Amino acid sequence: MRKGKITALGLALAFLFLFLPAAALAGGNAADGKKVVDTKKLGNCAACHVVPGMEFPGDVGPNLVEAMKNYSEKDRTMLRERIFDERKFNPDTIMPPFGTNKILTSQQIDDVVEYLLSFNNKK
Amino acid sequence: MRRFFHFFFKDYLILTFAIGLLVAGAGRSAFAGAGPASGIKEYKQNISTAEYEKRYNAVYGKFTEQMAEQGNPAGFVLDDGRDLFKKVEGSAGKSCASCHGENGEKLEGVAAAYPKYDPAIKGINTVALQINRCRKDHMGAPELKYESYNQVALELYVKSLSNGVPINVSIDGPARPFYEAGEAYYYKRQGQLNMSCAICHVKYAGHMIRANLLSNNRHHADHWPGYRLKWGKTGSLQKRFRGCNKKVRAKPLPFQCETYRDLELYLTYQANGLPVEVPGFRM
Ligand code: HEC
Ligand code: HEC
Repeated sequence: MRKGKITALGLALAFLFLFLPAAALAGGNAADGKKVVDTKKLGNCAACHVVPGMEFPGDVGPNLVEAMKNYSEKDRTMLRERIFDERKFNPDTIMPPFGTNKILTSQQIDDVVEYLLSFNNKK
Repeated sequence: MRRFFHFFFKDYLILTFAIGLLVAGAGRSAFAGAGPASGIKEYKQNISTAEYEKRYNAVYGKFTEQMAEQGNPAGFVLDDGRDLFKKVEGSAGKSCASCHGENGEKLEGVAAAYPKYDPAIKGINTVALQINRCRKDHMGAPELKYESYNQVALELYVKSLSNGVPINVSIDGPARPFYEAGEAYYYKRQGQLNMSCAICHVKYAGHMIRANLLSNNRHHADHWPGYRLKWGKTGSLQKRFRGCNKKVRAKPLPFQCETYRDLELYLTYQANGLPVEVPGFRM
């Protein structure tokens, strides 16, 4: 009995130490986000959008460097929703539903959002 | 103006140019409407054929010029197809030439009306399918595996007998439901990326997807089989279907399955009036 309690307590503590910091930091990492955006097998955002530093960007979607000028911290939720599933804003969009269809993980989407929002702070 | 679609080696250049000029005008005006309504909300083609050709030249022009000088590698495949056409195979002791003329005279212009409805199979017949039906039913020879070298070579040769002839496929009568099935597939969202053929090749035609210019679907069915640089070999239109399926992480279908034959009918109808020009050449 007692042994069981101690293990449970141990597990709870471990949980706290291991996962709490990650949860507290939730939001995302811009550098990881850049990788997701640039990688063909992940976001491949440059297939359709102008993003910084890509040699052959597509022009199917709006230039994201320009588009981000209209976004600020208060648009974070909306920005995340657009990447999660743009169909919410345009039912006939060509943009893949990255969240709904599990093309990207939740963390990866947070990272992408962080990266996109960082465009404005750079200049 | 139509010239840049001909990436032929020199021998073909003059001939196709002459024929192309002859039929281009007539072909254009014959293709007036977009096609029948089938309940699908069709997209409007994003760019005119002329504008697409202009952009194509801007993006790939230098490369295709080079290619025209060096010659289309599919030319060798075509030569092999001609030999295969004359080769006796199977239990009946016949070759294709036994029935269709030593140089395929009796098949001249025939492929321009394919794919077409065939009551015997209660569906759409393609050149590729017909070749295998002939082998089985009239030659007693084994069917060729789709996309194998010999299969592509024969299909290419048979289609080349219609080079310069305006494509003229019928979607009337019994063909109609199959055309509509092809169109439905063309407009269906597929795969993890949730895209349809139409969204790329109609709604966003003329745009760039990374370094690729999205083509206008008017010109999809007129030049296959052809050589594709990325494949490093000669392949069919249906190989292209499979490639685009995979790109959006959808399941590619088997060659010459009913859906792909319907799709081929749909796309070939979009090219009605344009001359057959095989082998094509694409990046
Ligand atoms: C296949 C094309 C395609 C891909 C890939 C794509 N997008 Fe888009 N995106 C679009 C289009 C087109 C729009 C314009 C709105 C619409 O059609 O829904 C858009 C809109 C957006 C917007 C809104 C811009 C604005 O003007 O407010 C954002 C943000 C965005 N995309 C981010 C991304 C990110 C990040 C990725 C990669 C993870 C990505 N997109 C991948 C096509 C694409
Ligand atoms: C993500 C966008 C996209 C989707 C969706 C898509 N394609 Fe493509 N397709 C391309 C690109 C890029 C190319 C190469 C450049 C070009 O010719 O457009 C291409 C090429 C082709 C070609 C060869 C064009 C030529 O000129 O020879 C055919 C045929 C074709 N696609 C058919 C289809 C069919 C059928 C579907 C649906 C099953 C489809 N595509 C879906 C992007 C797409």
